[in-house]
Amino acid sequence: MINERLVRKDDYTWEIAKDETLGMRVPGRIFLSDALMRFLEPAAIQQVANVATLPGIVKWSLAMPDVHTGYGFPIGGVAAFDATEGIVSPGGVGFDINCGTRLLATTLTKEEIEQEIQTLTTKLYESVPAGLGSKGSLRFSEKELDQVFLRGAKWAVDSGYGDAGDLKHCESNGCFDGADVSNVSPLAKKRGMPQLGSLGSGNHFLEIQFVDQIYEEREASVFGLRPGQVCIMLHSGSRGAGHQICTDYLKLFQKASQKYAIRLPDRQLACVPADSRDGRSYFSAMAAAANYAWANRQIMSYRVRDVIEREFSTGAGLVYDVAHNIAKLETHHIDGERKEVYVHRKGATRAFEKDESYGVAQPVLIPGSMGTASYVLCGTTKAMQTTFGSTCHGAGRVMSRKAAKRQLTWKGVTESLRQKHITLKTDDLSAVPEEAPEAYKPIDEVISVVSALGISKVVARLVPMGVIKG
Amino acid sequence: MRKYEFLEHTADVAFRAYGNNVGELFEHAAEALESIMICLDDVACEDSRVITLTSDTYEDLLYDWLSELLVIFEVDLFAVRSCRVTTTGFSLHAECLGAKIDPSKHRLKEEVKAVTYHELKVTKNAYFQAQVTLDV
Repeated sequence: MINERLVRKDDYTWEIAKDETLGMRVPGRIFLSDALMRFLEPAAIQQVANVATLPGIVKWSLAMPDVHTGYGFPIGGVAAFDATEGIVSPGGVGFDINCGTRLLATTLTKEEIEQEIQTLTTKLYESVPAGLGSKGSLRFSEKELDQVFLRGAKWAVDSGYGDAGDLKHCESNGCFDGADVSNVSPLAKKRGMPQLGSLGSGNHFLEIQFVDQIYEEREASVFGLRPGQVCIMLHSGSRGAGHQICTDYLKLFQKASQKYAIRLPDRQLACVPADSRDGRSYFSAMAAAANYAWANRQIMSYRVRDVIEREFSTGAGLVYDVAHNIAKLETHHIDGERKEVYVHRKGATRAFEKDESYGVAQPVLIPGSMGTASYVLCGTTKAMQTTFGSTCHGAGRVMSRKAAKRQLTWKGVTESLRQKHITLKTDDLSAVPEEAPEAYKPIDEVISVVSALGISKVVARLVPMGVIKG
Repeated sequence: MRKYEFLEHTADVAFRAYGNNVGELFEHAAEALESIMICLDDVACEDSRVITLTSDTYEDLLYDWLSELLVIFEVDLFAVRSCRVTTTGFSLHAECLGAKIDPSKHRLKEEVKAVTYHELKVTKNAYFQAQVTLDV
């Protein structure tokens, strides 16, 4: 049944009218097909409406087709706030600051590794630390950790974990300017120190995939992708460092929201004016966590490359690295004006029409659920006009973790992966049902919606061969 | 009265804890949190930790308490098997018993990233009740 609060604007756009009694400053917009509508929870609609009440919000509170209930912001939420009149919200970024995906493309073909997939998955599993409390096993000083926070992937490359060419293919070149370590708590540093270079747990993963289909020859060729090619996809973020930075500022902003007389429908939406000392402090600490995440993924790539090199005497080039939990100061054309806005993407991916290093549209990496396809998309002009240059970030959950564990067994899920010739490695088999395809929306449908809306163009489809679940 | 129960939440983990008083409520909430991260049956009460905290409301005190347990788990690698919590106003004193985490002895489960303020509530009817959402 379609929720009575939603008004259909076109085939894929549903609007929540601006309701001033609720304090909404702008309308909400949710992008869904009829097929995805059945997954939409009333709580997610409410969360889209709640975000629309925050000061300085511009145009719409948006939700991508992988939308589902989160805490504070919905997952799949995108909102832009005026740089002078608007706010920044730690809850609008999330605890896992700069959680994101990275894709490496090898010179190998599916056929070349098919017989070796068990060995390769095991070797990668042994090389890239994964699971609860996983540690990166790196030795470095506190001063170096500060450099990680300040310079991100650039620090990693300068420290020997990759080459300068990698930086060209990272969002923001793998380094967020404006990080200030004096705004990062000692506890955040302490949590971050041992975990650099580790995957983490939950929905974080490392997959060995092959390019199953190419849809856009030109972009695929520019990104270095061809049919049958073996790729490695990583999904991870800023580990305990980012979690603690978000925790610290959320706590601090509980009182600050009152100081700035901001009325909140949900305490998790705590926020402060972007153009305030509090706002600048958070933004500089968030930038530090984002840099940690870029360094983290760069170090894991180094370990992946080391395995590929040792096993197959070949390399793996970086296709792209992109964040999906982040806030950025960007310039967008809004109602005929160039406007500076803080775009919050909470479970949403930047999808710009132009990438400087490639000279075509920006690559967008969208992982599917465990055992299903992932996609390489690219940004579009339409995304710049309608979603502040954003698109979906994954399939989006439909089933609670509790329900997944009740309805599915790890034996059943691993057996179904085995039937699809997918090798799985994890240190927590009991959590496997939580990431099963049944717990997520169908990724192919989510991708067809962003494609039909024109907010992304589909470049390639990748299919998993080996999965390391964090 | 149950100690705690897990609720349906699409993305994350939510639970409701119960107690005859605030101290007992916090003890049960601690057990719910620890049970997500580690198989508690394997954790012996062989070491102790004392935690004292002060906040502005019961909700804030609960947020601080669970966040503290999370940090002790991740940074000190200490899992709490049981605890005795006493509260005075919005201050808390907790004596926690548990063990240093050893992956060869303990079955580690899921990483909890953080405690959230989302729908965080402490209420009192016939008994105390708290609702907590965790980011996992």
